[in-house]
Amino acid sequence: MDRRIFLKKIIKTFFFSVGIITSSLSVLFIYPSNISRRKTVFFDILAEDELPRKGVKRVDFTYKHKEKDVQTGFYIVADKGSILGLSPVCSHLGCLVKYNNHEKAFICPCHGGKYDIRGQVTDGPPPKPLTELPLKIADGRVYVGIKV
Amino acid sequence: MGKIFDWIDRRFNLKVVHKRFLKRSLPEKITYFHCLGGAAFTSYLCLIVTGLLLSIYYVPSELEAYDSIVKIQHEVRFGKVIRSVHNWSATLFIVFIILHTLRVFIHKAYAPPRQLNWLVGTLAMLLAFASGFTGYLLPWDQKAFWATEVGTSMASTIPAIGKYIMYFIRGGLDVTGVTLIRFYSMHVLWIPFFMMMALWVHFHMVRRLGIKRNL
Repeated sequence: MDRRIFLKKIIKTFFFSVGIITSSLSVLFIYPSNISRRKTVFFDILAEDELPRKGVKRVDFTYKHKEKDVQTGFYIVADKGSILGLSPVCSHLGCLVKYNNHEKAFICPCHGGKYDIRGQVTDGPPPKPLTELPLKIADGRVYVGIKV
Repeated sequence: MGKIFDWIDRRFNLKVVHKRFLKRSLPEKITYFHCLGGAAFTSYLCLIVTGLLLSIYYVPSELEAYDSIVKIQHEVRFGKVIRSVHNWSATLFIVFIILHTLRVFIHKAYAPPRQLNWLVGTLAMLLAFASGFTGYLLPWDQKAFWATEVGTSMASTIPAIGKYIMYFIRGGLDVTGVTLIRFYSMHVLWIPFFMMMALWVHFHMVRRLGIKRNL
């Protein structure tokens, strides 16, 4: 091989690899580093006798996460003798659903997703039912498990 | 004024280059539909000017973003006007780009030898959409937050890698102050930079290849 062509190839390879390495490092730089799996933490939210007998109750509360106050809320549903906690996050694209007492349904304001009182999809685009949150009752207090 | 410019031009030859661009042969039948690209570019220039002005007062932080917008609206002199012009230019920019794309499509101006210019134009359109999307979050109000929540969630519907793309865009699991800052950076630095490069290429190709004759 000619000396000139050889040097040209070396230089091309050098700049090509520098380009590849810098761009992949940049992507890694931009990708968030602190993504950890969410853990379910139980929060003491209300007394057992505050639970609804029948129907839906919205509970709002604040907790501290990484020294920041996080506001959150969820629904407690009492239906057919069982009690369940439902996350208000729509399974479609993450808006917050509202309970409509008139229609007895959770309705998402963004794209019209509808869920029945147990969180099962009845209408609209949601692919999955509302996420059920684990409830624990101990010593007359109700605890709800939220992923933080 | 002319004398000063001529003195500069004798050294840099700026006139010739621009004359070559502006004084070129055009097809006989040229209509107002051929102005749509130019209209889009004009809105782009308005966006640059008003954007530069807005960036003087806007604070891209979780706690201060909304307050700085309120300040721009109510305290800053002409703040309301500048923000409105930015808002409306952005809307018109998208409208003109889409109309321009339609014009090119109907005239079959994407056909060889102009394929590459169609691609660069598409890139510029995608950049315009990205700019609109990132700019929408910056007021940091309820509408902005939920639009971004929904918009970024859409990325997560891509099979297998969607979730990671969403984290990449959001800069974490949720839409937070981190998202605001990266959207700000994209909106004021990255996208305008790549947009300028794309438009530079776009305009030079228009000059080289000429405007397609009407059907």
